[in-house]
Order: sequence, then C-alpha cells, then structure tokens
Amino acid sequence: MKLSTRKLLDKSFTGYGIFAIVLMAAALLIIILPIFIKGMQAFVFKGTVEYRRLRLEKFNDGDSKSLERELDISKKLRQPIYDKIARFEEELREMDYEKRREYRKKLRELKKELKKLLGPFPDEPSPVLWRDQYGQTRWDRAQVVLKRVLYTETWDYSDPDKMGVKKYVPRMEQFEGTSLSSLFDYLQSNIKSIFRPRLTFYWRFLFDKSHDAHFFGGIWPEVLGTLYLTLGAMFFAIPMGVIAAIYLTEYAKREVLISLLRSCISTLAGVPSIVFGLFGLAFFINTINVSESKSVLAGSLTLALLILPTVIRASEEAIRSVPHTYKEAALSLGAGKWHTVLTVILPAALPGILTGIVISMGRAAGETAPIIFTAAVSVGQPLKMWETFSQPTPALPWNIYNLCTEHEAVDEIRHVQYGMVLTLVALVLFLNLMAIFLRARISKKLKG
Amino acid sequence: METVKSISSEDLLLSRQAQQFQKVMSFLGKSFLLLVTSLSSVAVLFIFYFITKDALPFFLQEGVVEFFTSTNWYPSAEEPNFGCLSIFAGSGLVTLGAILVAVPLGISAAVCLSDVLPFEVRQIVKPATEILAVIPSVAYGFFALVVFAPALQNNGSFLLTVAAWIIGVPVLLLGIIVASDLAADKFSEKYSRYIRFSLIGVLAVIAVWIMLRVHQFLIALSITSGTNALNVSIILGIMAIPTIISVSEDALQACGRELREGSYALGATRAETIFKTVIPASISGILAAVVLGVMRAVGETMVVWMASGNAAQIPQPWYNFLEPVRTLTATIAGDMGEADHVTGSARYHVLFAMALCLLIFSFGANLFSEWIVHRQQKKLGMVK
Repeated sequence: MKLSTRKLLDKSFTGYGIFAIVLMAAALLIIILPIFIKGMQAFVFKGTVEYRRLRLEKFNDGDSKSLERELDISKKLRQPIYDKIARFEEELREMDYEKRREYRKKLRELKKELKKLLGPFPDEPSPVLWRDQYGQTRWDRAQVVLKRVLYTETWDYSDPDKMGVKKYVPRMEQFEGTSLSSLFDYLQSNIKSIFRPRLTFYWRFLFDKSHDAHFFGGIWPEVLGTLYLTLGAMFFAIPMGVIAAIYLTEYAKREVLISLLRSCISTLAGVPSIVFGLFGLAFFINTINVSESKSVLAGSLTLALLILPTVIRASEEAIRSVPHTYKEAALSLGAGKWHTVLTVILPAALPGILTGIVISMGRAAGETAPIIFTAAVSVGQPLKMWETFSQPTPALPWNIYNLCTEHEAVDEIRHVQYGMVLTLVALVLFLNLMAIFLRARISKKLKG
Repeated sequence: METVKSISSEDLLLSRQAQQFQKVMSFLGKSFLLLVTSLSSVAVLFIFYFITKDALPFFLQEGVVEFFTSTNWYPSAEEPNFGCLSIFAGSGLVTLGAILVAVPLGISAAVCLSDVLPFEVRQIVKPATEILAVIPSVAYGFFALVVFAPALQNNGSFLLTVAAWIIGVPVLLLGIIVASDLAADKFSEKYSRYIRFSLIGVLAVIAVWIMLRVHQFLIALSITSGTNALNVSIILGIMAIPTIISVSEDALQACGRELREGSYALGATRAETIFKTVIPASISGILAAVVLGVMRAVGETMVVWMASGNAAQIPQPWYNFLEPVRTLTATIAGDMGEADHVTGSARYHVLFAMALCLLIFSFGANLFSEWIVHRQQKKLGMVK
C-alpha cells in the first residue's frame, strides 16, 4: 500500500471516530432540547383570562377586581358571537326540512368546538367537569382549538397509491350565504382581545395537586411518590450495600466465597428491570405480604434490590481507594479492626460512597418497570408518611407513561406530560451533577 | 529524676475473660456482616426460585412446544393460544437493530476517546456520555413516542434518504480512492497513473448509480406507522452506546502503552496501530461490552412498550424494520394489568415463563461476559 493511501485511511478513520462522537452529542441534544423547551411551557406560558378566572374561582388566587374588569371586556366581545348564533337559529326555522336538518348538524358541530374554545354558553347550566366549565386556559391551546373552529379536517384519498392526505377546509364554506358566515372573521380578528393572553409563571406546577385528570393543576402527588419510593429504596439499599462492601473488602478471605458473592452481585445487576417487577409482585406482595396489594413499601424493597449492586460496587471501590497507610497507622496505634473500619476507613471513603449512593438514587427515581406491579397507580392523592406502608402512589415515571398512552385526551395535556418528563430528567441530572461534583472534590483531595 | 514505671507484658494483654468476649464479639460481628452480604446472593436465588415457581404451572399445563414454536398469540381468546415465537422474534429484531446502531458508533467513539482525542476534550465528552446513560428509560420512551414517531411517520423516507447520503457518500468516496490506489499499485509506474484515473472514473459512475438507486428506493418508502422496530432500534441503540463506550474504553486503556508504542515504532499509522494491535489485544473486553449492550437492549421495557407498536407478528420479510413488533418485556408489562386479577390462570403464568426466558438469557450473557473479561485479564497478565 502506498504511503498516501495509508495516510488517507488514517485520517478518514479519525474523521469517523469524531463523526461518531458528534453524532452522539447531536443525539443527546435532540433528545434533551425538546424536553427542556416544551417542559418549561408547563411552568411558563401565556395564560388567558379563563386561566385567571379558574385560579380565582377554584383556588382563590388573584385580584378579583381587575379580573372583573377583564371579564367584562371579554364578555362584551363574546356577545356578538352568541347573538349571531341565536339569529342563525331563528333563520333556520324558516328553511325547508332537508336544509334545516343539514344545517342543524353543522351547527351542532360548530357549537361543540366553540364551547371547547370559549367555555359554556351564557344560558347553559354549569357543567360538572372543570374542563367544560372554562374555555381554553392556555393561549397555545386556544390557538389550536381556534383552528379547529375555523377549519374542518378532511382526508383526501384522490390518489389511490398513496396514503390519505390531511386537508383543511374553512368552516365558513359550510355556512356560506347565511348570517353565520361573518362569525368566523369576527372570531379570528378578536380572539386575542377575547382571551387577553398574559405571560404567567406557574411555579406551583410542582406543588399543586392535579385536578380533573391532569387537565389543571400540578404534579405534586407524582413528585412526592417518586421521593418516597427513592428514599425508601435508599433506606434499604444503603445499609445493605455498605455493609456488603465492608465485608467484601476488609473481612472476606476465602477466594471461593468472594468470587461466588461477586458473581451473584453481577448477576443481580444484569437481571432485567421488568423481572424485578415480577419478582416484587410474586415475593413481596403475593408471598410474604408486606402489604395487601401494591404499596410504596413493596416498591421501595423492589427498587432497593435493583440498585443494591450499584451501591455495593461504588462503596467497594471507594473503600479500596482509601490509602493503605491510613489503615496501617490506625492499626499501629492499637485500634481494633472494627474500630479502624468505623473511624478511619469509612470516613475517608465517605465521599466515594456518597457518589455511588447519589448515582443510584437517580437510577431508582427513574426506573419504571419495577414499580408497575408493585407500587404505582395512575390516580391518587399525595400520601402521608404512615400511609406508605399500605398505599400505592402515583409516581413520575409511571404517570409519564400513563398520561402519554392511556389518557383520554393525550394531545390536550402535552404540556403536563412534558412538564413531568422535565421534572424527572432534571431530578436525575441534578443528582448526577452532584455526583460529578463530589467526585471532583475527591480527586482534588487525593491530589493534595 | 522521675523513674518511669516499667511496663510488663501482662499490662498490655487483656484478661482471659475479656479476650474470650472479644473473640465471640468479633465472630458474631463477622457473621452478621456475612449474613447481610449474602442477602444479595439470596436475592438472586429467590428471584430464580419465585420466577420459576410461577412459570412452571404454565409449562405443565400448556406444554413447551406451542410456547416456543407457534406464532399465535391470543391469550385472551376463548381457547387461548400462547405461541410466543413472534414475540421472541420481536425482541431479537429490535436487539439486532440496536446493536447495528450502537456497536459501530460505540466502539469507534471509545477508540476515539482512548486514543485520538486530547485530554481536555475527553473531559467534556465523557460526562456527556454519562448523561446519555442516566436519562431515565421512560424519558427515552416518551421521546420515541411523542417526538420521534411522528417525525418518522411524516418525514421518515426523507430522513432515511438524508441518512443514506450522509453515510454513503464518504464511504463510497473512500472506497473508490483506496480501491483504485490498491489496483494501481499492482502495475508498473509508467501506467499506474492512467489506470488509477480510469479506475476512479469507472468506480465513480458505479457509485453514483448505486446511490441513485438507494435514493429512489428510500424516497419511495411509505411508513405507515412511526411506532415500529426501526424507531425502537435507534433509541435502544442510543441507550446502549454509553455502556459500550465505557466498558470497551476500559478494555482499550487496559492494553497499555507498550503495545501502542511498539507499533508506532515499527512505522504504523494510528489507524493501523488501533486495528492491528490495540483492538486484537482488547477484543475480549470489547466483546464483553457488546454483550452488556445486548443485555441492556433485551431487558429494556419502557421504550419498547411505548414505541414498538406492540403487534405480535413476525415482520415480512423478517428484516423489515418498518413494521411494528412486540417484545417479551413489553408483553410482560402490558399484559400483567389484565392478567393480574386472575392469578393462577395460564395467562398469568405465561408472563412468568417469559420472564424466566429473559432471566436465563441475562444470566447466560452475564456469565459469558465475565468469562471473557477474566480470560483477557489472564492474557494480559493481570491475574496470576
């Protein structure tokens, strides 16, 4: 091979390696960015006048006088819409039967969409569900719903070789020549003054209970459930893990025993998380009955088993990295072995152990599969401390899954889903950043 | 002057009673430590025992043959069928896809990290890979379902075409140049230039033709659903990359400076050193990394449950990644909710049978990876 060819191959190999890393970084950005940007929209968004009405009426939060003024303006602007519909209904009475029936159907559809946008009509009794009592509370959602009022969706199947193509037809065409046709232009040009969107910072998203199946309110039950599960798992895993690490590094002598224990630990680390979930169901709940059915306790025990190998390995490594001289100095001063471990080795290894603990906390917080059968429910109240022994809880990972696949109106609560994902990812990243920070401090300390 | 009282040896010794007490205490303490430590091993045994205990009724009741060979998965029918072949195939397909994504990228990134990049850049890239590793799987699943699947469904063929161009053009260009160089070397210097240029021309025409055919094929693809095996494979691949990078980088680091320096001294370029010296020396570690990546992809639940489409079918043809599939983990997670109430029925126990298969697979893979790592350590003289 010629030298130039070899050099070219060498360079292109380097280029390929860098390409792989750039691709990885791009993947990270592509995954993280939408979560961060759209997740923030759960906290910061443009709230409409309907949002402020809801806050005042349901949470007693806000200034009633200024809201009154705003509502007055909004009401005045809405009145022409209702007037037009009333006039059209009168017009309908004079039409012949066939035409009337057709228009009635179209009008019913239009009214349904309008109710979604603006809330119930003035002469209607107040509906039961919160989502029906108010119009759109978020400006971004209001625009989407407005589009549904102004246009109808149809599918174009004219090309038989291809899939159907979505087409938007102005709804105005349906009411051409009637008194309603002016409604659409009016709505479009006045929508902003009807809704009066204003930038709202809803930091209570984290600490509010959810209302009306997550249409309104926050995610506190889920956050609290995740905290309970994580802390519960750490409560069981830390003592077991650290003690096992002490035994493996300082006390165990027989090679066979050590390698057997090691194999078991690495097997435990390799068990798929869903199998942990089944085991938790079959053992903790069905066999030893730690609780009647799903509970935070059973979930914590299952998660503890899952993260045990991580805690053991990290603690072991931390204990091993304590310089031998420490131990020798302690022993030469006459301290017993146990005394040495407790007062010299463990304090020196503490930052390393903490790093491992913090990383496995992140893992426990994010795991879904083990808690599906052991701890998680879709809807629930925030639990009191003592209820964790017997009650299941909503938890962030499970509810993310639940809201984006099984919820009745998946598209309408995207902001809540993104907000939950952001909260979970931020929690996990925060824990890991803490671990990185701890590790940096340790390496600084070891360097002197 | 004060006289120092001489210390007799008896003062330093404990009394007999205290000595015995201490012995008993230390024995007790040690046993306690061993007891706690062995809890983790007991946990492994318990997991095997309890999963097997609930899986056995299924095999006793329904037999083994249908489970492994039939593709009829109708667990809730009046006369239920529990054929899991298509589910096994689904797990296999997405794992294969994930490996195809993760192995080339992961290993080359590991090589790049250990041998190519300067130290400062490495300090930034390593935490980035760790971030990829710590993002919860449900967040990946959410991304796959809410962002990636619609993108794939609406612009899938366009994205695939762009990817094909990005990968195809450099590879073909490099291939053309290297192939014509190699061929030209065989001839005497007088002709080699002409042969080289004419070869480049011919090969370039062929390459353009290939790219155009690939382009035509991909741009005409219609993707009926964004939740399919391709989507899941790519996401699982991204999830497996950090594991592969960290394990294989350790292996690459472990094979030492001397080997590399020896190779450089003989005049090899960096690529040649890596391909002919470093990678062969650390091949078992890299293999272990791949095995761990496979384990991660097989055992992953949330991503496949949310974004694989959950259709119990073998794609036609089997390598058709654009069709929805169903995997073992997703079936366990999804069907348990319905089977929960009828504890004791075959529908409940079949899920444990699947879990047992997963468990045995991960156990075997774990043993295998441990064995190869151990073998490498022996080879490099790290273990006596």
